[in-house]
Amino acid sequence: MATQDSDDRAERTYQAAAETSSQDSALSVTDLAISYPTSDGPVVEVDRLDIPEGEITALVGPNGSGKSTTIRALADQLEPDSGEILLDGEDIANYGAKELARELGHLSQENDAPQSVSVEDLVLHGRYPYRGFFGAVDADDRRAVEHAIDIAGVDHLREENVGNLSGGQKQLAFIAMVLAQETDVLLLDEPTTYLDLHHQLRVMETVERLNTERDVTVAVVLHDIAQAARFADYLIALDDGEVYDWGPPTDVVTEELLRDVFDVEAAVRYTPEPEITPKHSL
Amino acid sequence: MGADESGTSDESATITADGSGWIDLPLVTLAVVCVIVTVFAALLQVSYGAYELTFWEAWATLFDPDLLSNPSVWEAFLLGTDLPDLPARSIVVWNIRMPRIAVGLLVGANLGVAGAIFQAVTRNELASPQTLGVNAGAGLAVLLTLVVYTELTHLLPLVAALGGTIAFLLVYSISWDGGTSPVRLILAGIIVATVFNALQTALFFVADDLGVVQTALAWTTGSLTGVDWEEFRIILPMTLLGVPLSVAGARHLNVLVLGEGTAKSLGMNVERMRFGLSGVAIVTASSGIAVAGIVGFVGLVVPHLVRTIVGSDYRRVILGCVFVGPALLAVADVGSRLGATMFVFMVGVSGVATGGLFFLAGIVLYVVNPDRLDRSYRRLVGGATVVGLLSLSYTTLIGGPSVSETQVPVGIVTGLIGGPYFLYLMRQRKQMGDL
Repeated sequence: MATQDSDDRAERTYQAAAETSSQDSALSVTDLAISYPTSDGPVVEVDRLDIPEGEITALVGPNGSGKSTTIRALADQLEPDSGEILLDGEDIANYGAKELARELGHLSQENDAPQSVSVEDLVLHGRYPYRGFFGAVDADDRRAVEHAIDIAGVDHLREENVGNLSGGQKQLAFIAMVLAQETDVLLLDEPTTYLDLHHQLRVMETVERLNTERDVTVAVVLHDIAQAARFADYLIALDDGEVYDWGPPTDVVTEELLRDVFDVEAAVRYTPEPEITPKHSL
Repeated sequence: MGADESGTSDESATITADGSGWIDLPLVTLAVVCVIVTVFAALLQVSYGAYELTFWEAWATLFDPDLLSNPSVWEAFLLGTDLPDLPARSIVVWNIRMPRIAVGLLVGANLGVAGAIFQAVTRNELASPQTLGVNAGAGLAVLLTLVVYTELTHLLPLVAALGGTIAFLLVYSISWDGGTSPVRLILAGIIVATVFNALQTALFFVADDLGVVQTALAWTTGSLTGVDWEEFRIILPMTLLGVPLSVAGARHLNVLVLGEGTAKSLGMNVERMRFGLSGVAIVTASSGIAVAGIVGFVGLVVPHLVRTIVGSDYRRVILGCVFVGPALLAVADVGSRLGATMFVFMVGVSGVATGGLFFLAGIVLYVVNPDRLDRSYRRLVGGATVVGLLSLSYTTLIGGPSVSETQVPVGIVTGLIGGPYFLYLMRQRKQMGDL
């Protein structure tokens, strides 16, 4: 039975991968291996991974499963040992730094800014890849900043200094900064962790709005699988540095996944979205 | 993408983030105060000294139209041609006292700006040419030239810059491990500086000529004694190169202080930018060291002082340093050349002048917009006036300012001003960066 299941899963993964490659994937990864200087052997090994264009894809998995490592590699923040990461069919290593920052936005897990920077100035930094060494701010930059502030809903905080913001407000301000980059692809590393529920929803709603209104491809690392199931079009479940499953939430979120990957005994109801009721840890 | 959105841009005409609105009231205030202090210190410097001049004689000489409109005089100052025949008074004012003031101003600007860049690049507010080993490297190179390789003496500024660069490269490579981190940079800097300082001290024992030892000592403490237009000609090009580059680079520093990961995500080539801007800082700092020796604490204290007033936007910080650095050097050099009572007198007059001027400006501002007069503005006016009056009454009490017989190196005065001020800041802010 178990083998039957995993066979199904593997088949589905390959089928999905085949579908997306014939369809369009914004980012596609083949034979990726990433290791850290301190680790023995690679911490992430992925044969194939696709971030479909125009969709929200969530990377889920337990601590240490390689979600953040994978997304950092996708953002060219980490150099993989081997493998190919294609953005719109072109290896990201071939992009210039600014060129990449105009195509692909990335917000890391921890963000820090000097206390006395205003939110507006912070968002303006998102225009960095569009400006030359002596670059002045032009009308496009202003419009992009305005739009980013609007979408992230931080208009009332515009003049506020980053040092005076709550954790959630600060996260929204940083998201506005990344939005000002006006990229087609956005990678977010645990944007909702440590936030209160209100701000978690604000962040995810911003992501949703961005996706529906501007057709931005989003890949987001989420800690909370229920949240991922609710907001994402696709889930990529990572386990121990490998892709465990890939597909729409209704297919991926199963009691088996929670048991195998998260070590949690849980009941999953489909209404039709998957609803998870955790019972106990394994 | 985004081009299709341009139809909505009309609504966003109200935006204020236009990149030019960053020159604000605190920055302008700071600049004005610094100019007042600098000008007054310079006037004192021109008027007093071994060759006795009254205040008015000094003024008359300083603004002598015959001299100011004489191109061959300027050629002599700026290009090093022979000075035409001038009256003794003009020689004293224009050829002895003025170059010292001018060089001091440039040294202050250079060291202040360099310190600000180093603090941004390392994301550490304790960073300065001193903590990153640049001072020690340049100092060692200068000592080696004075004591061992005497045939290179005419290339001293170049040698100093080279020494500073080598020390910084050493620090950078020691701290390099697939990238550098601010903490590693500082630690490596302190270690390299310690080693280089030890070598400097060792060289004193090798020197057999007492004159050389004295020159070397003046060098390592930082001194403007005997500075001539020649030094001005050395440092001016470096300042004209370094300061505009720093102002232009300030925007990049702002992105760099967001952290390496964020800066890279925003499309910055982090290592290249960090290295390039450090290079600018080394050139400016080394040129200062080349003409005045190692004037301590300026690179550390000036950016700090500016930051507490204008905030952490490096466009403002760098520009503020261009004003505060020269002011600090000008003030310190009064103490260095004319002694303590003149120093107190100068503080008194500049304090009262600052308080008075801003009181009047405050009245104007109040009419325009009462909200602009916040608590910090009132504190500036009050504080400057009180300090000024106290200093002036002290000066009257001791029977007026008098010129001191002996000079101390300017580096000692900056240390005496900078050290306590820095400690005060530490107590005030508690948060000093990563270290």
